[in-house]
Amino acid sequence: MQTFQIRYRNTQGTLMRILTAVSRRALDMPSVHADAGENDHEVTLVLDVNPKQIGQLCREWYAIPDVIKVRSGAAHEAEWSNAHPPTGVSIQRAAARA
Amino acid sequence: MLKGAEIVLQCLRAEGVELMFGYPGGAIMPLYDALDGSGIRHILTRHEQGAVFAAEGYARVTGKVGVAIATSGPGATNLVTGIADAKMDSVPLVCITGQVRSALIGTDAFQETDVFGVTLSLTKWSHLVRTLDEIPEVIAEGFHWARSGRPGPVIIDIPTDMLKTKKESARPAKFTPHARPADAKADGGFTDTIVAMLQQASRPVALVGAGAKLSGAVPELRRLLDQLNIPTFATVHGLGAVPPQSPYYLGMVGMHGTRAANTALHETDLLLVFGARLDDRVTGDPSRFAPHAKIVHFEIDPAQLDRVRPCDLPVIGDLAETIPAFQAEICRHALPDFKDWHAVACGPERAELDPRGLAQPTIRFLDELFSRLPENSVVLADVGQHQMWAAQRYRSSYPRGFITSGGLGAMGFALPAAVGVQLAKPDTCVLCVSGDGGFQMNIQELATVHRLDLPIKMVIIDNKYLGMVRQWQQLFYERNYAETDLSDNPDFVEIAKAYKIPSFRMNEDAMREFPVSEQTGNEIDRFLHSPNPELLVFDCAPEANVFPMVPAGAALSEMLLEEEPSE
Repeated sequence: MQTFQIRYRNTQGTLMRILTAVSRRALDMPSVHADAGENDHEVTLVLDVNPKQIGQLCREWYAIPDVIKVRSGAAHEAEWSNAHPPTGVSIQRAAARA
Repeated sequence: MLKGAEIVLQCLRAEGVELMFGYPGGAIMPLYDALDGSGIRHILTRHEQGAVFAAEGYARVTGKVGVAIATSGPGATNLVTGIADAKMDSVPLVCITGQVRSALIGTDAFQETDVFGVTLSLTKWSHLVRTLDEIPEVIAEGFHWARSGRPGPVIIDIPTDMLKTKKESARPAKFTPHARPADAKADGGFTDTIVAMLQQASRPVALVGAGAKLSGAVPELRRLLDQLNIPTFATVHGLGAVPPQSPYYLGMVGMHGTRAANTALHETDLLLVFGARLDDRVTGDPSRFAPHAKIVHFEIDPAQLDRVRPCDLPVIGDLAETIPAFQAEICRHALPDFKDWHAVACGPERAELDPRGLAQPTIRFLDELFSRLPENSVVLADVGQHQMWAAQRYRSSYPRGFITSGGLGAMGFALPAAVGVQLAKPDTCVLCVSGDGGFQMNIQELATVHRLDLPIKMVIIDNKYLGMVRQWQQLFYERNYAETDLSDNPDFVEIAKAYKIPSFRMNEDAMREFPVSEQTGNEIDRFLHSPNPELLVFDCAPEANVFPMVPAGAALSEMLLEEEPSE
């Protein structure tokens, strides 16, 4: 199970778009918790996903206009707490491989 | 005092809208009532799907935002296919829909549909207007998202009372997107990395998609490819980005791509992707896609990365910035010349089509048409066999010269889209190629063509089947031609005449001679250069097939070059 925290501006449909990115992949959503903040809102999702899906979801959430920040749980904290998507990380990895 | 409808039109004008396509109805009537004197030309189509496809055609050929208008309920839901099409093919589109009056929303009122909800997963951004004051900001934001980054569709739903209410004054707004803490962008180091990868590669190739054209980076891309001189191919939406006469260009890749392109893609050890989504029609079986290759993916939309196969180096950003940066870097390095690889991949043994394919009268017919087109013509293809034949055979250097519904594959796209293209480019020759199935899906737009006297050249490749489905039934469903027979088609020539559009028929016999007879050639020339709309119905063999073909789920290396001999 992986935890995701997504901060977003509470504009029309943004929360639904975040959830649709999950449902269109035929994934269950065992836990969804949304909090209203002073300026931004945050939704926490717990999902059973593989590493490829983690990357796809984070990138798709990031492409939603009013999503501000995407973080995923402990296992991937290092990769996902910086810029999204983590181009720098991938470039370094690729450079090491090249 | 200004009505909401007048404010909407004023804001559209401020966004540069000169032309929009639509169909009136109850909830949107106040907007139509305010049209006169707005400075915006409205094109009445004969169906909302015609309007949204026409807006798409306009947007695809100009790069500007297309605008479609519809009323609530069925008017709005008729836009949905076009919205999905714009999402798949990255077309900047703003749809404005009327909605029932605010007090009735949620009551299942007459012609009420939650179009905001219906289109949520298809739009890039959407908004249901709730106050008159927010209209300028909402329209500015909608246009911003439609045209920024990876372009896409936006829907703005406006209750009819908002359109009627008056306000003392309102001015168009400007939208500034909120800052995000860490917007993704390739760091400068990517150029070194690709150069290092190129130096280690022995069989590099380049794959060009629509993103190269959408970013306006075609001149930069062409310079880069000339410099690299590596085998290059394009997706269906990338056609036109690379001059087809380039010595390294291998044509279209994917399910109906050329043998040379698919083979090179299968053999490569370094794949440079420029603005392509790498969908299943391009990759075939993802687990066997470019199996020996490292992948470098130039892309503006991070959500497109790693969809099918993880890439080794994502280069995120506008290709208009990342391609020149890459080009500047390779100027400073000595790269291998890849001469041997070039000779194999681009050599004559890997001919583009098998000789049997070239002998097909329909292919000859398309070759005749395309070879006689004026330079910088625009060809639109609908969806099906004729679309793939056209994509294989049309060789143009005009980046926006080939337009089709690629991602969604929406039959009925081409005719209304051609209306939008011809209005955007009144002096350009616009050739619209459809099948007999797809043409009937939006045949009513012949009335729009006639009303506006648009000189669109329409061609129906009439095989009296839903040809591509029939081809699959033949090859993969033991010739069980279930519900694909259209042998009772109407007489298209007579139908066109009923719409007061000249039309004529040509059959395969005209293509049996090579070169074609002077009379046939003259007939095609007259058709293409006529100042009026005209329809040509080409009778095609019912069981003609499109080859090469990669069966669904197979690897690109497993393409069929011709059908198996029947037992």
